[in-house]
Amino acid sequence: MRGRPLLFSSYEQDQALLNTTTKRVSVFILLFLLVLVPFEVLPGLGFLAEDSWLRILSTVAIFAIGGLGMNILFGLAGQVSLGHAFFMGIGAYVAAVLGADPDGRYFGLGLPIWIWLPAAGIVAALVGVAVGPTAVRVRGLYLAVVTLGLVFIGDYMFRNLDTITGGSELGRTFPPLDFRLWMEDEPLLNVSSDGAWLGIDLTSEAKSYLVLLVLAIVFVIFAKNIQRTRVGRAFMAIRDRDVAAEIMGVDEVRYKLLAFGISSFFAGIAGALLASFVGSVIPERWDLFLSVEFIAIVLIGGAGTVTGTLLGAAFVTILPRVVQDFTLWVQGVVDAGDSPMATVLDFVVATDSSDFGLVNTLPGVGPGLSVFQLNQVIYGLLIIGFLIFEPLGLYGIWIRMRNYWKGWPFTY
Amino acid sequence: MKSNSRWLAVLLVLSLIVAACGGDSADEETTTTAASVDETTTTAAATDDTEPTDDTEPMGEEILTDFGVDLEAGTITIGLLSDLTGVFSALVNPVVTGWEAQVEQINANGGIHGLEIVLEVRDTVYTVDTHVQLYSEIRDDVVAIGHSTGSPHSVAIAPQLAEDSMLALPLTWYSGWSDPALNQNLIPHGIPYCLEAMNLLGYVSDNMPDASTIAIASQAGDFGEDSAVGAKLAAEALGFEVVYDGQAEINPGDESSLGAVANQIVTSGADIVWVATSPGAYAGIYGQALAGGFTPMVWSGVFVAWQFPLIGPDSPLADAVQRDMIFSLPFPNWSSENPGTQAAVEAIRAYAPDAPAYEYYLEGVGEAILLERILNAAYESGDMTRGGVLAAAKSLEAVSWDGLWPEETYAGEPNDIVNRTSYIVRPNVADLAAGGSGLEMLAPDYTHPITEAYQFDGACFEAFG
Repeated sequence: MRGRPLLFSSYEQDQALLNTTTKRVSVFILLFLLVLVPFEVLPGLGFLAEDSWLRILSTVAIFAIGGLGMNILFGLAGQVSLGHAFFMGIGAYVAAVLGADPDGRYFGLGLPIWIWLPAAGIVAALVGVAVGPTAVRVRGLYLAVVTLGLVFIGDYMFRNLDTITGGSELGRTFPPLDFRLWMEDEPLLNVSSDGAWLGIDLTSEAKSYLVLLVLAIVFVIFAKNIQRTRVGRAFMAIRDRDVAAEIMGVDEVRYKLLAFGISSFFAGIAGALLASFVGSVIPERWDLFLSVEFIAIVLIGGAGTVTGTLLGAAFVTILPRVVQDFTLWVQGVVDAGDSPMATVLDFVVATDSSDFGLVNTLPGVGPGLSVFQLNQVIYGLLIIGFLIFEPLGLYGIWIRMRNYWKGWPFTY
Repeated sequence: MKSNSRWLAVLLVLSLIVAACGGDSADEETTTTAASVDETTTTAAATDDTEPTDDTEPMGEEILTDFGVDLEAGTITIGLLSDLTGVFSALVNPVVTGWEAQVEQINANGGIHGLEIVLEVRDTVYTVDTHVQLYSEIRDDVVAIGHSTGSPHSVAIAPQLAEDSMLALPLTWYSGWSDPALNQNLIPHGIPYCLEAMNLLGYVSDNMPDASTIAIASQAGDFGEDSAVGAKLAAEALGFEVVYDGQAEINPGDESSLGAVANQIVTSGADIVWVATSPGAYAGIYGQALAGGFTPMVWSGVFVAWQFPLIGPDSPLADAVQRDMIFSLPFPNWSSENPGTQAAVEAIRAYAPDAPAYEYYLEGVGEAILLERILNAAYESGDMTRGGVLAAAKSLEAVSWDGLWPEETYAGEPNDIVNRTSYIVRPNVADLAAGGSGLEMLAPDYTHPITEAYQFDGACFEAFG
């Protein structure tokens, strides 16, 4: 079939993970580049090897895993859930109970990561299935309210279970990402401190990034497989019209529960990884805003698509840093003064209380948004904007770019 | 047609942006009355029209540097991890303004031996992971962290601080900072919450000999509980009977917990009420107990719970608050007439003329002065690496702020160097009307014998581990 990449002569071919040569090559190159990031060899992208950028990219990987879970529930099965943060919290505390240092101040068994990480996902999934029966009885806004309740129940539980969570405003430490065979002192794979891997010196940030990248790839394949098999098609049938799906023989209750279970599994893993990566987390972290962030990831990226979710996770996680660096840069230009650029950019930042500016970099002085508030405004606008103009999100933009170049110079 | 409607939608979105900004900036104005500044820059300093004075050039000496000190550009960069938009933003914004005001003064007076101080301020939004992220962002640009807001947050960056030999001043008064096991890199300042509670209750005991029972309530977390543990230790030492122990019972975000605690306090019928929580929650509990007709001999608490609008011209509670409340501060109040506080107030007035009088500005000025002393000591030792600055901080003895803060020492055992000095104050409507922060000094430089006798060897309330 050379030269006719879109001609599929079998169902397997059509449904393959990477069904065209272009996809195979580009995914391979992308993975290669992602692995190279911490080694400062990418031209023009060397700054990504800085610890702070590696931390952001690691967070992207974690949020991608959580986002994929949200995408399965919300994007594929069409069930609105605000309870994602609750399941992440469950995952994090299961990880802490099983993996934290037994000699520490709070409860911990000191088990290795290959136990606590899967367990975090499994327990979260079981909790998801357990609360599922109430959730599958309602849909739409009502489901959103039910799952909203979960976040508040979780908030109360996490704040009051001191021996496990460390208590309100205090939090506890979580097991590091080190890989041990059993409870030996020296980990087989040391992730949490600087050192050499295969003779190459790496910071702990670089190591964490590589580990999380591998995990994210595993979960991407998992999510992609769910999407392109029977289960995924059943989810989509329920999303598009649940009554019709049931008439076709899709067991609605079973598949909705399954969607909750799988989504919670991803959330539990993401929660455990986030807590482990940050090292210490307070119970208040698992709040409603975290859930909303995942909805933003799915909506901005493109609901129902794996690629879109990855784009969304990257976008939502990197945006705050970009906005902050941009603001600092604008501030620098304006402070330097006197160039035409400075005059224009002066409208962007407020440099004193009487100065008009969208962003105020002077803490506590005068009007204007803080960088954090500007980020939130941008999130909101993007969600509205994408819902109106591009329901397929960043993925939709990508598809259109691709189709444009596919037919270029002809319009179709 | 299609493209027309598209442009219309774009316009609508743009108008949304404008609307959003308008709304938010109005909010900003009311919440942070912290006010205006006549200077144009946050960080870049003004050395232009002031000649560097006597203590200037290095003159051939070798100064060791690694991060954050640029001898050629003549700058020293200090990082501030501040909560500018999170739950403590109302307190931390003034602290940062205090820093900026004082750094301007320091630079105008020749800086650190001719080197200008530059601030890198980052907004942590009081979120632990953002805090850790921002630390990793600025760690290689700064020589020290001027303040790190929040206890769990500061604990979370502790491993990296140790790895980087980085000095950080915690912007919390948790007693555990003096515990070397918790952190070697955090240099605490001011009296810890727990000892502060002892001083305040000691003062109450001396001045209200008839009081015999106490109700203690606090929010969960290192601040509330460290303070509550101190209050209980004091109650035991002073012979007060604890008729209500509400340690960790207050949840500032939950109105019903305030009502429940107020109810418990009223039914306990205590002579002394002692509360450690946020200003809003304190006012809520006080208001509900007052409405229930409960008037104990005194309402006391740590200064974090105090906010001047409680006795402002619009407050219906002003007279009652002035009658009932008493607080302790870790340093003198805004209207104090010592040279250190006066100079700090002048620096703030020069930088932000419209800022309301508020003690948190003084906290920022004090922190900046402490960093100045540390940096000078590091310069004089010839080692301005991060490790050198940390070592310089730990060698300082008898540091004086001319009265802005009580004298402090950083070299020695926790029990010998911990700050035990409080300033007992009470709300005063006349002071607020006269342009002060609404506080009247009852006892300056106050250390009660039970505080003096307390063997301090680490956290009163063990919060982290």
